[in-house]
Amino acid sequence: MSSSSTQVLDARQLAYVHYHCSCPDVCKSNESSEKSIPDFDVNSPRVQFSTFPISKLYFCDDCHQIRCPRCVQEEIVCFYCPNCLFEVPTASVKSERNRCARNCFQCPICQNTLSVVASSEPPLANPPAALNMTPTGAPYFLSCGVCRWDSQEIGMTFEKATGLALQLQKTEDERPDVKEFDHLKEHFEKHLRLNIPSTSLPSSLSSIPGMSSFTSRYGGSSMAHTQQKSDDVAPYEAVGKVESESGLVDDLVQLKDVNQITTLAQRMNQHSDQPYKRIHLRTKRVKRCRSCRHILIKPEQKAQATRFKIKLVALNSIPKITITSLPKLILNQQTQIVLKFSNPLYEEIMVELKLNDEPLEYGKITIPSPHFNITPYNEVWEYDEQELVPSKSRPQSSASIAPRNDIIGIYERRGNYTSIIVEITPLSEVEEFKFPLLVTYTTKSNDVNDGNENPENPSDVPPTNKSEDSKVEADKTDTSTSTNLTTRSLSFWTIIGLGSVVKAPVPSRSSTHGNSGAVRPNSISGKS
Amino acid sequence: MEPPIIYYPRLEYIETVKSKELDTGNKVSRKSVICGSQNIILGGKTIIQTDCVIRGDLRRTGGGHAVVVAIGRYCLLAKGSIIRPPYKTYKGIFSYYPMKIGDHVSIGEGSIVEAATIGSFVHIGKNCVIGRFAIIKDCCRIEDNTVIPPNTVVPSFSIYDGSPGVFVDELPECVQDIYETRTKDYYSKFQPKD
Repeated sequence: MSSSSTQVLDARQLAYVHYHCSCPDVCKSNESSEKSIPDFDVNSPRVQFSTFPISKLYFCDDCHQIRCPRCVQEEIVCFYCPNCLFEVPTASVKSERNRCARNCFQCPICQNTLSVVASSEPPLANPPAALNMTPTGAPYFLSCGVCRWDSQEIGMTFEKATGLALQLQKTEDERPDVKEFDHLKEHFEKHLRLNIPSTSLPSSLSSIPGMSSFTSRYGGSSMAHTQQKSDDVAPYEAVGKVESESGLVDDLVQLKDVNQITTLAQRMNQHSDQPYKRIHLRTKRVKRCRSCRHILIKPEQKAQATRFKIKLVALNSIPKITITSLPKLILNQQTQIVLKFSNPLYEEIMVELKLNDEPLEYGKITIPSPHFNITPYNEVWEYDEQELVPSKSRPQSSASIAPRNDIIGIYERRGNYTSIIVEITPLSEVEEFKFPLLVTYTTKSNDVNDGNENPENPSDVPPTNKSEDSKVEADKTDTSTSTNLTTRSLSFWTIIGLGSVVKAPVPSRSSTHGNSGAVRPNSISGKS
Repeated sequence: MEPPIIYYPRLEYIETVKSKELDTGNKVSRKSVICGSQNIILGGKTIIQTDCVIRGDLRRTGGGHAVVVAIGRYCLLAKGSIIRPPYKTYKGIFSYYPMKIGDHVSIGEGSIVEAATIGSFVHIGKNCVIGRFAIIKDCCRIEDNTVIPPNTVVPSFSIYDGSPGVFVDELPECVQDIYETRTKDYYSKFQPKD
């Protein structure tokens, strides 16, 4: 089973549902286009940069819009070393050159973390060998657990096992590239000091070390009434000399074995002859919506904490679409796939699906029931489900749920999800069969916005808040029967990828595939 | 793509039932090799599939009863994975050290784990090697065929890939929810069939 199941798995990796983020602030779209949403071109080269799996998306409550990694703004909350996990204060990040100033080093050969080894530790396994390599000086050295490189090779040893970076500080400061950079900094610092007054810097940028001085030099100076002299920077002369590389080129020309020279990754990782490198720091970042600047993601300050103070992700805000059944797509044959829409919200939503107005060239797609509703999310259901999925007591537990198969095209309706059938007839053999789907969902919620008296009891809100509805920043607000009922809707494009289309139906194999994924409308209830 | 329901022969697995105050529902294959079971703790609703090996017998020299391998809730040890506590020689004494695995951790087929700690919400792919005393923090993903060298620290929200495994990408913020639902889903869909 294992080999066949892996094959099936591989085929399924090609099936995906990606959500499109229109990035309203990045690509300027005019308001008028909102009324009639234009067709979505799935083959546009832009698509792979503007569509994401739902897990990567955020949702801004204030704008009522999907936000993708491209349309959020990041601010650094804390710096930490990914190896020792110590937090580095923002103030010292700059002076430590963005690298761990403790004991963490990278191997020059394989970029793995080096560990400190005491050479005096009794190597019981082979004492004679140890005697040979006992260094004359210090008792500690760095050693790589992967490629067995050790720092004794280059004569690097340490007196103490702690604060290694500090012990190396002196040699590091003498490196030609570091010296050059210091000179460069010194050279420009005079000009920076002249241009300091630009305090109008956005807070988001000032938190990035070095950014404030950067903007004051380049961006800030244009708006501020600083000295016109800011452009008159004296020409910089390098202190370090670049040696002639002709000898090196000759060596490379004569090279017979590629393994004799450093790889690109190794060369990228080291600027000078110094073979070790302190480990780069990582950051935790706050993410903000670009248009309203509200915080979407706010991690906890501590380097090791994995929780978030604010986490507005799309997964908890918009319907999640999963492909639950995907038989093989066979040329010119109608196949039914099942899309499961789950509702993460605590209120019922209405979903409307729409395809491109223009039909696809390579296939025919029909959605028998493009309008359906999804019952709200309820923790109790989830709890039931994990206990009872295919077991016998399940139908009773879901007694409160609407009967399924009441409408043609609805495959299943249970808990907080509704599964629908999409009929597909591929008309040409394509590597990747994908189609766009416009999803519009509408929530009907009792208005609880704008500081109502009793927000914890939304159903009892009296209809006295007259113009409250108009304040709601939804794409579409309309006041129906009762005054406090608001509808909010959001439309977004998705791309449903279904993998490749096969030509000839293989009778024996397609049946096994069909078993795992074909639409069997009564498969689950049939077992009970 | 939603995973299908996986059926296993009812006789192949032992399902733990009520034992004192411990949470149960662990499914352990009869064809797995569990050594020193008195030193192993399963948090509940953990699946140990066929041909897995857990070496609970490799414990610290001396002393009485000790927990060698602690595994949290909703974990999955897929077919042929091996859990072996890490060892080292410290001050001339060779010893094994305990291993702790958090909740909602899935370890892929044929992977060998000798880590010191694995946090919660971790996904380890197929055919990985997790070196001795590696520390994998919460919310991480180790891709298939990755080798994590000994003593490596994998910080939260990272994806590691390659041999030796290096940081390749960050995981999104909602990864905790995703892994939680995925492991729960897997458990509920791992069903016996006669």
